Amino acid sequence: MNNSELVQTLASILLASAPLMIAVCGEIITERSGIVNLSLDGTMLMAAMTAFVVGLKADNIWVGLLAAMAVGALFAFIVAFGSIRLRQSMFAIGFVLTLLGDDLSAFLGQNYTRIPGPVVKHFAIPVLKDIPILGPIFFDQDAVVYFAFLLVGLTWLLLFRTQPGLRLRSAGERPEAAFARGVDVNRVRYLYAVLGGALVGIAGAAYSLDIKIGWSDGHTRGLGWIALAIVIFGGWSPVRGAVGAILFGATKALATFLQRTFPEVSVVAFNSLPWLLMIGVLLLVSSEVSERLIAIAPRAAQRPLRRMLRVSPPRALGATFVEERTS
Amino acid sequence: MWVFFAKHPRLGIIFTALLPFLATLAALAIGAVMLILLGADPVEAYSALVEGAFGSQNALADTLVKATPLLLVALGICIAFRGGVINIGGEGQLVVGAVSATLVGLSFPDAPGWLLIPLALASGFLAGAVWGGIPGALKAYFNVNEILSTIMMNQIAVQGMNFLLRGLMIDPVQLEAASRIPQTARLAEAFDLPRLVPTRLHLGTGLAIIAAVLVFIFLWRTTVGYRIRAVGLNPKASRYAGIHVPRHIVLALLLSGAFAGLAGAVQVYGVHHRMFTDGSATGFTGSAGFNGIVVALFGQLHPSGCNPSLFLIRSTPGWREQIAARDASPICLYHCAQWLSRGFCRCQRHLETALGTAARERNS
Repeated sequence: MNNSELVQTLASILLASAPLMIAVCGEIITERSGIVNLSLDGTMLMAAMTAFVVGLKADNIWVGLLAAMAVGALFAFIVAFGSIRLRQSMFAIGFVLTLLGDDLSAFLGQNYTRIPGPVVKHFAIPVLKDIPILGPIFFDQDAVVYFAFLLVGLTWLLLFRTQPGLRLRSAGERPEAAFARGVDVNRVRYLYAVLGGALVGIAGAAYSLDIKIGWSDGHTRGLGWIALAIVIFGGWSPVRGAVGAILFGATKALATFLQRTFPEVSVVAFNSLPWLLMIGVLLLVSSEVSERLIAIAPRAAQRPLRRMLRVSPPRALGATFVEERTS
Repeated sequence: MWVFFAKHPRLGIIFTALLPFLATLAALAIGAVMLILLGADPVEAYSALVEGAFGSQNALADTLVKATPLLLVALGICIAFRGGVINIGGEGQLVVGAVSATLVGLSFPDAPGWLLIPLALASGFLAGAVWGGIPGALKAYFNVNEILSTIMMNQIAVQGMNFLLRGLMIDPVQLEAASRIPQTARLAEAFDLPRLVPTRLHLGTGLAIIAAVLVFIFLWRTTVGYRIRAVGLNPKASRYAGIHVPRHIVLALLLSGAFAGLAGAVQVYGVHHRMFTDGSATGFTGSAGFNGIVVALFGQLHPSGCNPSLFLIRSTPGWREQIAARDASPICLYHCAQWLSRGFCRCQRHLETALGTAARERNS
């Protein structure tokens, strides 16, 4: 592999992981507020289908994108409404919505499979794209990639550097305490579940309008689950989540590369590689193993390592909050 | 209304028991609205549904045959969810069970049927147990989220299946043909599960119903089952009560996988008599691993509840084909109906709480 090929591979990895980054950011916002939206896979399928079909009918990608956001927001709203208002298990609702999205998208999109449609145009940033090596990787990309990176930064800012972000996190960590301090926990949860859902909708649209153009049955199947896994891997932090998404894209690229280099080894080994790696990584970050590894490291490196490896979910994740009635 | 039922607890019980059916009716009503919006005649569609599912002896038998793997998977899901672990890996466990059962059948083509069939079903059961046990152990001892690890295991199982069916296990006939369809040779006819002639109904359905009874006994009448439920309700309290929590988490996921594996074996020996793949899991499983979860939830995680709910759900695919033939094809309705019934059904808990509160208020 020579240099220009390497640059191209890196650029394609970024492009492939950009929608995952968007979906991961959306889900992180949702989960930080205490709601688990398990319907990601179905939501992305529905959003991808809607974006393509609406975009095709209106002949305008922005309309398609808006429609996809609306679909994503709607799915997230159903999960939030079902868990907050109807007190149902959000896991069950999310799961059933996954199945629903899968079938509904296949049904509604059946007349639009494998036809050309609107496409997001390639957009190189002038001046910056001429930086050697970094330019072609980061700044000679599609709009999706810029948006993904921007979103990661914005999500981080929102979560950790603003007051609404503090309220959002408090609703997910200690809802009772937040409520006592005057935060309307359930309203916060509704708001950020819907916002996160809309972002997941954008991620779905990014596939059908840019990365994997067009629509086919089960267009993005499986990717929603990957995004959910990356949220956990990323420890509910947008920056680490983005790293996780890029790592996943990289393992896939690596698998393809290895397959070309060692054609005699079965394809199965390489196709299973990303999944096995993810199980391994989950094992590493969620168990005591990470703590032991950190203990081996030199003392100076221990604190940053711990910050990097330790994962703890929002304390009230997946628990419904019922306001205490004071009488 | 709650007060009324609190005054007449017996009527309340009847109402609660009827709720799933009311929910289904409500879902069907909403389905009818959607059908009208799609420009189809709901009366015609629903009569096609009934006809396709229960219209004739053959249709009824087909419905039962299609319901069998769902029931088996759902039984496993009952155990897992009662144990507080969420098993999304039914697909993978089903595939692994089917592959291992097929391997047994292909390895001993001359064995007598009475010996081989139990052996093959047992191997499917065990393979599923292993595939469910791995995420179980990861969850219990390494705190790895089981929702994610079971999904990863699904993907790995599918990769393994594709590998075996395209290589080692491929039908010699297909190997010579240019098309090379990835499927195994047909298993010896002596291994077919006994059938209720002239329909397609096979022994597996009876087996599944027996399994449902066994699962009920296991969960509600044995110590181990009690412990699994206790761990599911409150792991901390269970630990203080002296229950070895990790062990029971592993056991719950392991048994859950085992029943999915058994479902795979039954599908091979009762229906397809061979293993095949279209590259994804759904080609062979028909998403039974996922739909089984819906069945179990709809049946409120109780083996007895799984049976009727399964009828309602599984009868619909036949309906789907019928309607597709009439060029209306509202595939979505199938899942919409499922989802809605499920949503309505869950209102039951709401009602029960309300009943309890009303009764308490009356007594005090």
